[in-house]
Amino acid sequence: MRVLAGGIGYPDLCDYSIGIEVQEKLSEREAPPGVVVEDLSYNPIAIIQRLNDEAPDSLFERVVVVSAVKRGDRPSGAVSCYRWDGGMPSDEEVQRAVTDAVTGIIAMDNTLVIARYFKALPEEVVVVEVEPETHEFGAALSAEVSTAFPNICDTVWRCATDDAFVGQLPSGALALTVVPLIRFG
Amino acid sequence: MCFKNLPVEFDSAGKPFLRAGVGDPYATATATAPEGPRQLTADKIEDLLKRNGHIKSMDFDPVTRVAGALAFHTVADFDKRKILEARSVATLFRGYEVIMVGRDPRDAIFITSRACGVCGGVHSTCSALATEMAIGCCPPPQGVLVRNLALALEFLYDHPLHLHLLAGPDYSQVIVEPTNPSLYERAKTSEARHTGIHGYRTIAELMTDLNPLTGKLYVEALHMTRVAREAYVLICGKYPHPQTIVPGGMSSTINLTVMNEMFVRLGQFFDYSKKLALIWDDLTEFFYEANPEYKKVGARRANLIDTGIFDHPDAYDATYESADDWGNRRWATPGAIVDGKLVTTDLKKINMGLEEFVEHSYYEEWTGDGQKMHFPTDPSGNPLSPYHPWNKVTRPRPQGQNWKEKYTWDTTPRWDRQGMEAGCYARLWNTAVARKMPESPFMESTGHSLKMRVPAGALPETDLEWHVPDVWNAFERNRGRAYCMAFTTLIAFEQWRAIMERLKDGDTKTATKFEIPKRGTQQGVGFWGAGRGYLTHHLTLDRGAVANYQIVTPSTWNASPTDRWGQPGPYEEAVMNTPLLEETGDATKFRGLDVLRAIRSFDPCMPCTTHIQSEGGLITREVNTCACGLDE
Repeated sequence: MRVLAGGIGYPDLCDYSIGIEVQEKLSEREAPPGVVVEDLSYNPIAIIQRLNDEAPDSLFERVVVVSAVKRGDRPSGAVSCYRWDGGMPSDEEVQRAVTDAVTGIIAMDNTLVIARYFKALPEEVVVVEVEPETHEFGAALSAEVSTAFPNICDTVWRCATDDAFVGQLPSGALALTVVPLIRFG
Repeated sequence: MCFKNLPVEFDSAGKPFLRAGVGDPYATATATAPEGPRQLTADKIEDLLKRNGHIKSMDFDPVTRVAGALAFHTVADFDKRKILEARSVATLFRGYEVIMVGRDPRDAIFITSRACGVCGGVHSTCSALATEMAIGCCPPPQGVLVRNLALALEFLYDHPLHLHLLAGPDYSQVIVEPTNPSLYERAKTSEARHTGIHGYRTIAELMTDLNPLTGKLYVEALHMTRVAREAYVLICGKYPHPQTIVPGGMSSTINLTVMNEMFVRLGQFFDYSKKLALIWDDLTEFFYEANPEYKKVGARRANLIDTGIFDHPDAYDATYESADDWGNRRWATPGAIVDGKLVTTDLKKINMGLEEFVEHSYYEEWTGDGQKMHFPTDPSGNPLSPYHPWNKVTRPRPQGQNWKEKYTWDTTPRWDRQGMEAGCYARLWNTAVARKMPESPFMESTGHSLKMRVPAGALPETDLEWHVPDVWNAFERNRGRAYCMAFTTLIAFEQWRAIMERLKDGDTKTATKFEIPKRGTQQGVGFWGAGRGYLTHHLTLDRGAVANYQIVTPSTWNASPTDRWGQPGPYEEAVMNTPLLEETGDATKFRGLDVLRAIRSFDPCMPCTTHIQSEGGLITREVNTCACGLDE
């Protein structure tokens, strides 16, 4: 089975860099055949194009992404892991995601939504979310996320390599925001 | 004489001086702004809103399909279908000027690149140019050419992105059909004039392919951004934040293999640029013919400014003293256009006329109170305003929003105290009328137009001609941007050819060694351009570190708020002149389409940082002053 495991985030943004940190750490491990660990912290349109470059007979069958996601209803450093239910926002919101993508915004939800819309993702997408604490310039993770770091790495690794583990994961939705377009007064 | 409002005159040798006998030459009352559009007072607007049910506020927060965080407040008279008030709100703080202070200037190339997720390279280059000037380092010819090529490629990413992903949907079937059904009916039977090039038989077919997400032109633009990116990384290593731009040139390795791979990508833009120009020609003429009122959408005075871009390798010497000479030999000529007339192409005069005000911005004044004016003159001895970027100090002051006082994070740049507009079309216009561009078998500046001969691809060699427009509005901005694709493609091709010629002679030197001086004070300015137009970085070094760093971007000009004289900023002025042409009688069903067309035609680019640097040196918090509660 071909699996792509990737981190998404910005560098040097403390906890919001967790996706990159995990991806770098996992790159040091010897991946089993078919498992690819990559940095996916770039323009989501370019990620689609990268996925579309795969040979048709050996496409990725699972994509695992890890990123900081602020939900605010769980403790800092908490790790949530789920199979994305594939729920999509309105076309208007997909357009907004594309606008963000091509103008430089790197975000996990945008990446998944756009990649799904343009049919670049496999059916099975596993999301590993980390609740961040600090949102500052710098390389240091917060104490909470730092403590959770080994567990985050192991969780992503299991998602990439352990089919049985993935099979037991719940299905879940992305944390999407919707913006108003116009307001009359 | 290029200045009408600033008290700057010129002697018989052309040397500028401050008019004699003026006590405070840059005071508001001394140098007044010209007659022109003015905002109604906030009190007047409040009164109108109270007394008239058909006058309502219409707010866009955020303005979608633009880069970054922009909100827009309008008050509209839905009976007369006109806009009474327009306020442009940059909702996020850009703190690069603060972040840069105290740093090694070499850091600026990488830090300021992060000001934008689309055009990081233009900031890197502008920063390198400012540093070069400050430290006295000139790149070798091949370095100049490679730098030009890199920047052209960045624009080839940028222009299609705007035309067909951001602005294009405003002219698509899914938008036009519900808002203006009779217009769409007409489009079904309106034959496109340039079917032979772009392949669309009717305007309706063209509109259908402009549909967001599904339209062929939308999807094709996504693909072409890849082609440009691939070409770019061949010489810049990374996109959008390059790693090979340095003061003194480029650290790229240039050889025949790289340049051949480059041509494979560049060549794809020959046909694409023909198509884009003629698609936007056909679309524009269709709207004008269907309803001449569309000429008023986004209309404003043709006041444009640009510093020019793409240096000639034999002319550029990185000095301020000869900026007029090397500026005028750029492939895109610098210039200031006032009321449609080119008034100067001299980079030093463009620089002298620049001021930045903060009356309606979330910053504190830095002049007055005995504040020392660091540079009363530029390095050539020409007078500078206390509001000039070399004299400016960035003092952010977040506070509540109030149309009478402060309402945006953008500042108010003015040239000769006039609201100027930046855009790639400004460089097209300057170049077309100035007749100063280098000789080329592919381009000719005629004084009233720019002729372009685009080489054959799958399509035959095609002659295009961009004409200085009679009116300046949203459609002409988009049409200009579309023609800029061909202009940029040809400039990229010229750079490619020149690089190849030098490679044949064994010239692979792309950079000059440099040292940062550890003593004294040095000044530099990068005169460059983004895909969206004008870009300057003003730099002051003190004992090897950045003492002041000021960035003026295209959207600093375009999104600027109303100034101290009541002159609206360019977005504001363009929206104030925009008629509401949607075919609905119900005010609540308005989508604000023509207002959005007006704003988007500028290609707003607001992405900057959301962070402030604290005194401790850490970026500590987000600041977002949104437009919620505008009417309260």
